[in-house]
Amino acid sequence: MLIQILNGLVYAGLLYIVSVGLVLIFGLRRVVNFAHGGFYMVGAYAGYTAAMVFGFWGGLIVAVLVLGLIGILLDYVVFRPLQNADHMVTVLVTFGILLVFEDVVQMIWGADTLSVLAPYPFDGTVQLGDILFPVYRLLVIAVAIAVALGLTLWLRFSRAGLYVRASSVDALTTGMQGVDTEKLSLSVVGLGTALAGLSGVIASPLLALSPSMGSSILIESFIVVVTGGLGSFAGAFIAALLIGQVHNLGIVYVPNVASMLPLLLMVVVLILKPTGFARSYS
Amino acid sequence: MRTTKLYAGVAAAAFLIAAGASSAADATIKIGVATALTGAYGDLGQQVKRAVDFAVEEVNAKGGIDGRKVETQYQDTQAKADIARQQAEKLVNDGFTILTGSIASGEALGIAPMLERWDAVMMGTVPKADALTGAECSPRFFRANIPDYADAATVGTWLKEQSEKKWAIMGSDTAWGRNSGASFTKTASGLTRDIVAEGYAGLGTNDFAPYIQKILDSGAEGVWVALAGRDAINFAQQAKQFGLIDKLKVAGVSFVTDNTVKTLGDVSKGIYGIINYSSTLDTPANKAFVDAWAKKYPGTLPANFEGETYLGMQVLFAGIDKADSTSPEDIAEALEGIETDTIIGKISVRQADHQFVRGNFFGRIEDQDGTLRPVVATSVAADVAMPAADDACKL
Repeated sequence: MLIQILNGLVYAGLLYIVSVGLVLIFGLRRVVNFAHGGFYMVGAYAGYTAAMVFGFWGGLIVAVLVLGLIGILLDYVVFRPLQNADHMVTVLVTFGILLVFEDVVQMIWGADTLSVLAPYPFDGTVQLGDILFPVYRLLVIAVAIAVALGLTLWLRFSRAGLYVRASSVDALTTGMQGVDTEKLSLSVVGLGTALAGLSGVIASPLLALSPSMGSSILIESFIVVVTGGLGSFAGAFIAALLIGQVHNLGIVYVPNVASMLPLLLMVVVLILKPTGFARSYS
Repeated sequence: MRTTKLYAGVAAAAFLIAAGASSAADATIKIGVATALTGAYGDLGQQVKRAVDFAVEEVNAKGGIDGRKVETQYQDTQAKADIARQQAEKLVNDGFTILTGSIASGEALGIAPMLERWDAVMMGTVPKADALTGAECSPRFFRANIPDYADAATVGTWLKEQSEKKWAIMGSDTAWGRNSGASFTKTASGLTRDIVAEGYAGLGTNDFAPYIQKILDSGAEGVWVALAGRDAINFAQQAKQFGLIDKLKVAGVSFVTDNTVKTLGDVSKGIYGIINYSSTLDTPANKAFVDAWAKKYPGTLPANFEGETYLGMQVLFAGIDKADSTSPEDIAEALEGIETDTIIGKISVRQADHQFVRGNFFGRIEDQDGTLRPVVATSVAADVAMPAADDACKL
């Protein structure tokens, strides 16, 4: 039971890192970014290839940088011109980008599934009670906590964080106060996609790499983001924790309905509290 | 000047008419391949594509079948039953009435009942659910690969010799995975083995940890795995990290494939499994096939479903040749009861349920000449490997 809860935490950690990038981008650009799953996948593949030259950690840095650049480009080329367009238009465009990415990745790396080994010294197991637990899974939890902490500190205490919080509440007024919101969202979207890249690389020793990996995690991350309250960091954190557990314990105790539970949870939360767990930025 | 133009025009027209006439005389054979080019089974769909492309190129290089060239068209199904049915119908509407390519059993189960209405014929080379040649059998559907109930017969001969009494099942939550789990349960209980844990994970599952932990907690000594494609890799990789692969005897179907080995490397070493086709089979026809394959796809050996799809194409082409027609009805009639040479020896197509009657293999992933690959340990002859046709099938 304790081990299953720990497993739930691992999955929650992964979901959180993917989701928090979505939250960042939504907060500033009000864009429901379907391409996020694509960035996660491209991050994993970029990390895979770069790791051949620079090792796993080098690959991670390369993937984060590459995805950050792609994000900046995305904001400049797609989000900025479309910021006054209907929300549906951006949803469709980002969904299109996801499909294009899947095809491009399949063209470059092929449809065959690839796998990545956990990097040394995280490739072993650790004795927890009488059960062996993979060390790498603990690392995933640690990375998620680090991301959560880092983001919170940045949002709370840095000037840029203040601008981000301000402009996600009211972009127009923030702009009138002299904050360059365009430049701000450029870096925030970049940060969001860089986080997608990070999550892709972190996920790769756990999950097999295939062009469809992005769309398969995207749905679960959306459940997290919506349950947490669109645009809320703390909400996403709590929702990821909850959905990780519901997902895992569901498989253990009620396997026949397990795949339904996260969706059910989302529906119940939205009925009781249409804004999700959190109302605004925290 | 004017006359030259006129001559040229007449000549061109005559040429066009001649070309039209000749193409009408030996109409092409149109094969529609509705397969999972993307999605969780994308790698398997690409295998089907490679094998069909190979077979078609080969037969066209020999001048086609009875002088008729073979043409293919592909549609992506993402291994989803509803999309597969739409794509198959689209192919049929475009004149590609000889179908193949389904990966998931659900795809083929959706298409098979429509074949007569569409006036099409289909060669299944991957889907394993029993019902396709059982309760849901169709006069227009043929199966080249080995169904679950036949795999279970082969597993039985292996399981008998294993000392492990307690087994777990890890299957995909699809018609095939559930079917394979049920077949394994039946075989195991017949041999007084207990099933102590069962898990079925949805297609494209990311985290297998809860399933793995459940198997470890159940005290199982062995685990039967019915996962394929990305799911198989995900499970194997995570099971290795949890120490399951080293601790338990692991065996499976569609799990011990050249693909799994290529992706997983050492992780896959020692995994047992059903091998429906292996490039290491020692027949002259297979060797020639493997050599020709390596010429078209340098650096690769034909994988499990590539071999099975190719032999399905061999029998299909033999059927078209025998029918001497491109009509799906004639081809289906010709395929019934046909006996022909393939890369794994002589194969017959059973009249009662349209299942290919053929041998099966069991083996494990071993180091052979410095490379890891599925190595056949036991060959099971067709009379044991292919149990009698299901009475539920009424053709």
